Amino acid sequence: METNETASTTETLNASGGPIRNAGRLELLKRSFPLATLVLLIVIFSILSPRFLTFGNLLIVLQQGTVLLVAALGMTFVIMAGSIDLSVGSIVALAALLTALTADRLGAAAIIPAIAVGAAAGWINGMLLAKGKVPSFIATMGAMVVYRGIVLLFTRGAPVSIEDEQFLDTYTNRTLGIPHSVIIGLVLTLVAYGIINRTVFGREVRAIGGGERVAILTGIQVDRVKISMYVLLGALCGIAGLLQGARAMAATAQLGEGLELDVIAAVVVGGTPLTGGVGSVVGTILGVLIITLLSNGMNMIGVDPYLQNIVKGIVLVCAVFVTIDRKKIGIIK
Amino acid sequence: MTLTASNLHKSYGQTRAVHGVSIELRPGTVHAIVGENGAGKSTTLRMLAGAERPDAGEMTLNGARYAPPSVIGAATLGVSLVYQEITINRSLSVAENIFIDRLRMFAGRLGFIDRRRMESAAQAILERIGAQISVSSDTGRLNLGELKCIEIARALSTSPKILLLDESTAYLDHREVQAVLRVISELRGQGMTIAFVSHHLDEVLAVADELTILKDGQFVGTFRTSEIAPREIHHRMVGRELAKSIYPPRPAKDPGRTARDPVVLEISDVAVGRELNNISLDVRAGEILGLAGLKGAGAEALFAAICGDLPLRHGSMKLVGGSYAPSSPTFAWRQGVAHLPGDRNNEGLIAEFSVLDNLVMARPPHHGPVFDRAAAAAIAGDLIAQIGIKAQSVDASCRSLSGGNLQKVVIGKCLAIQPRLLLLNNPTRGVDIGARAEIYRIIRQKAAQGLAIILSSEDMPELIGMSDRLLVLRQGYVTHRIETAADATEHDIIGHMA
Repeated sequence: METNETASTTETLNASGGPIRNAGRLELLKRSFPLATLVLLIVIFSILSPRFLTFGNLLIVLQQGTVLLVAALGMTFVIMAGSIDLSVGSIVALAALLTALTADRLGAAAIIPAIAVGAAAGWINGMLLAKGKVPSFIATMGAMVVYRGIVLLFTRGAPVSIEDEQFLDTYTNRTLGIPHSVIIGLVLTLVAYGIINRTVFGREVRAIGGGERVAILTGIQVDRVKISMYVLLGALCGIAGLLQGARAMAATAQLGEGLELDVIAAVVVGGTPLTGGVGSVVGTILGVLIITLLSNGMNMIGVDPYLQNIVKGIVLVCAVFVTIDRKKIGIIK
Repeated sequence: MTLTASNLHKSYGQTRAVHGVSIELRPGTVHAIVGENGAGKSTTLRMLAGAERPDAGEMTLNGARYAPPSVIGAATLGVSLVYQEITINRSLSVAENIFIDRLRMFAGRLGFIDRRRMESAAQAILERIGAQISVSSDTGRLNLGELKCIEIARALSTSPKILLLDESTAYLDHREVQAVLRVISELRGQGMTIAFVSHHLDEVLAVADELTILKDGQFVGTFRTSEIAPREIHHRMVGRELAKSIYPPRPAKDPGRTARDPVVLEISDVAVGRELNNISLDVRAGEILGLAGLKGAGAEALFAAICGDLPLRHGSMKLVGGSYAPSSPTFAWRQGVAHLPGDRNNEGLIAEFSVLDNLVMARPPHHGPVFDRAAAAAIAGDLIAQIGIKAQSVDASCRSLSGGNLQKVVIGKCLAIQPRLLLLNNPTRGVDIGARAEIYRIIRQKAAQGLAIILSSEDMPELIGMSDRLLVLRQGYVTHRIETAADATEHDIIGHMA
């Protein structure tokens, strides 16, 4: 039996067709890349700005990052399944608008319509992909424009302010010095972590990303799982929209514009490859921190705002460069 | 041209893939390289072709030192390699595929490709190898055997003197294999030096003049095919005496008992898509029903219908007496119908996932929505022991496993749901002989425990050796029913297939 043992190892090496001597080291680099980037950023910004590494500023970073985090948690599922959602920014705007319209009457309970509208928008995306077989890139690109259009149609471009005291208290006050939005973000993070790592659903999402055909033929209800994950992402975007609205005390037609890129960037920079099959909540947290710190830090040290986009773009491409699995061709389903 | 290699060594990290292999390829001779998975066959061939550089050892071409820097370098010296995988681009024409790396050769005055000149050059090569393919055929409609012939034509388009073929028949069916073997014989007649790697001893015996046996990366010996018995080859490949047959004995047949065994699946007058027409069959508990037929003859369509992946066009199915109309694979698996697909890497399992992830994929143990990892580990551990999967742990990535072990994982995934019906589509494709015997043992053992099995295979000896009854399909119809598969001959089956 021992000879067979060696035989099987050899076969793997043969099959890969080339030297994989460096595979271990490369794998390590891939995995530690997000954390290393984060540490590097913190070190650089701390040196360049004395105000950067202060409790006050870090709290601001967390607050700034919460909306991104909540949406990125949902996006982690979608990307893990090998799909994408470009409509998250628009869903956030839609939810913020509904929050603003209902906060006066519902107070803190305005979170219910916010989640509902987000989930509904996600459901439509999921149906388009799963039942309509429209590639998610196209389906959600269309949805992005439509959802944003609905917001524009309702607001006619004018902001809708949120004045309800109870609502604002609930979502912007602090407990023990920590903003409620940050607490909500942390709770949702734990929930997302549990779903990805401990549930059958999380495994099914991963299996779809790892090999959709295998998942289908093994009896996984691929359509249902896909719709569910888009509903989940939509609902999280609903919460993100509410938090963003609460922070700005208003819903505007431009709210959340371009957010989809930051969300996708955060997930990918965190090490979840667009090819699917792999995904990590911890990575997404790191990705969100990297994206947020990058903006925050560059503002602190006074980098030209126009230059900031260039830096962000380079970081994103570098992350994909390091983490992508080149054995799979990166098609977004 | 004569290509010799002596005392070749190649290691990847700690693993010695090839350790002291010597080989001599002579003009007008077909030389087979055989051995189990991991014996070093492909590595040896790839070193000869310039795809890998040996760590040590000498190679000479017609007496001169030969150290090709790359596959292209080797090709310019007259040594051409045909890869194991099909590398034809189906959106290009036959001629474009053949000259894909040298389209410039056919550039006209304005830089446009002179299609007529290119196509006549391509057709000349195809005719030279005796492949009955027209350059005007649509590559999208050619079968795998024809594509393989086009790849051989591509390798020949650089006018090599030596042709190396790596597992060229691995994904081909009987008819396609015959076409490739014909091409090989044709080329030998023209004085070409040919070496090929194969898992199938019958192919080797059919076409090779000489064969070199490797085992665990080491050179066992070179023999004239006419002077060595198949059993001897097996023995030297595996390094131990194999049982007389790799197929486990069938349980003694008792007609009374067979009639009492419940019918698990009953199919009446079923038609599926355009591929399958009016088929009726039944499978009883404890029985292995074999399906013979060329690709596209209907076995795959039948499996797709039974596992809920394709709808029925006509007819009905019954599972243990009750009406059975699977709307999706999910439904089929829930009813206890497990399916091992023919394409292990794209349909059978997810190679990046762990052994455990794959084994419990069909029915993950859970409490409510929460995955029960402890139970999953127990199930996976059981299956690993029962099936003899050689993995470091349940959490080992499937990427680290050999073909035979991967297939055992797929079988394990099917058995994990304790199915009542198991559909096997070419369960030993690309699996070496040692693992094959183990897979056969498991299949037979499960049948003896009352599982109903339908086995579709392109491997004739396997069908005859494993099936209790056999159906032969041709172009969507059952052309022949054999009640006692043990008495069937390959000749008889093939006669009804083609």
